[in-house]
Amino acid sequence: MIDISNILIVQTRDLTVVRNGKTLLDRVNLDIERGSLTMLLGHNGAGKSVLLRTLHGLMTKTDGQINGPPAKRQKIVFQKPILLRRSARKHFHFVCPGCPDKDTEAWFAHAGLQAQMDTHAHQLSGGEQQKLALIGALASQPSLLFLDEPTSHLDYESTTAIEQMIHDAHANGTTIIMTSHNRAQAERLAQQVLFIHEGQLLESRAAADFFHKPTDPIADNFLNHL
Amino acid sequence: MEFMDPLKLAFAMLMALDPELMSIISLSLVVSFTAVGAALVIGLPIGALLSSYRFPGRWAIITVSNTFLGMPPVVVGLFIYVLISRAGPFGWLGILYTSYAMMLAQFVLVLPISIALSRQVFETLNNEYTPLFLSLRTSKLNRVLVLISESRIALITIALACFGRAISEVGAVMIVGGNIRHSTRVMTTAIGLETSRGELAKALALGVVLLAIALSVNIASQMIRSKFERNIIND
Repeated sequence: MIDISNILIVQTRDLTVVRNGKTLLDRVNLDIERGSLTMLLGHNGAGKSVLLRTLHGLMTKTDGQINGPPAKRQKIVFQKPILLRRSARKHFHFVCPGCPDKDTEAWFAHAGLQAQMDTHAHQLSGGEQQKLALIGALASQPSLLFLDEPTSHLDYESTTAIEQMIHDAHANGTTIIMTSHNRAQAERLAQQVLFIHEGQLLESRAAADFFHKPTDPIADNFLNHL
Repeated sequence: MEFMDPLKLAFAMLMALDPELMSIISLSLVVSFTAVGAALVIGLPIGALLSSYRFPGRWAIITVSNTFLGMPPVVVGLFIYVLISRAGPFGWLGILYTSYAMMLAQFVLVLPISIALSRQVFETLNNEYTPLFLSLRTSKLNRVLVLISESRIALITIALACFGRAISEVGAVMIVGGNIRHSTRVMTTAIGLETSRGELAKALALGVVLLAIALSVNIASQMIRSKFERNIIND
């Protein structure tokens, strides 16, 4: 077992995922600090979502080690929110079964969704659906939150609101690992950047340093086109 | 026979509340509703399990249920007859030529429909929800319950398909029920009997009544379906 320190919340060693003979993650070693906000960057198909899903336990690793908080202390929000075919309130209670009604209302207020509590979840707008998914994940106060391109299909207004919620969650101590294809967003939110290319982790640096000048030429080229 | 004669006769029989007709209608409904109810109670969880989990024997169950979808009712009737006849392995039950045997026959006919159609519905939904279920570490029982609850509108259509198959069935119930007057005579076997007697007007009248029952059940299910849809919108 890896001895994970109080400073780190996630640590992987030689994490490898192979599916149908294709290596999706290739001996990834990463250390995620507790309370940090880490941005996973890379081209489409680079392995960002695979890494998130493997860390969260949705995909099984082929080899290597993962150390992280217990499953119930982790949550994930998907690019396309997965919502049950019921009211927003009932969906929220499904994903956060122990949440008292008072807290439920507070979370909906936090997301600006008080008026939509009894609206069918599938009738909410894209931004509202993502907010619902986000408060559903945050309500159980996870220590680790994975966000898989949470604003990729949203307009400016919804993106700003989601970013504010991410910022608030981070300020409250939640460790966040997210993916994004939006450079401005990555620069606004990230403290740490992990750059993945063809399943390999090429860079792991402080966000300011990475955006100033990546050391890897592939990352440099990627950033120029982001 | 005039074209309108069967309609007039059907209307007259219904209006007169003919005791024999009423007993045939009520037995038809009791047998079919019981068979469909049992097939849904057993078939839906099996459909949900088949759609959600990989386990040994899964493909065998799918293959058998799919094969039974196209099984001729008389073959099912014959098979059950052999099983429950006095010399058969379940002869001790003593249910041959009773309504229980007819329920069993209809149950065997509609169970594969309930399994196969619900598996399709649940599979689509399960593919969508699997990442959420995995992330929340939802238990197997909860997954099945959520899938059934989330598919309730589609399940009404499945129930209707099962009912349509059950109420219109004649071959199997004839073999295991025997079409005994005041005991095991249902709409379809009564129609067969009247036709063989040359009482075409009466047979057609019974057919009209059967159609009216099917229509009523469809309207009732459509109303339930609309209520569900309204509830979902206002939920």
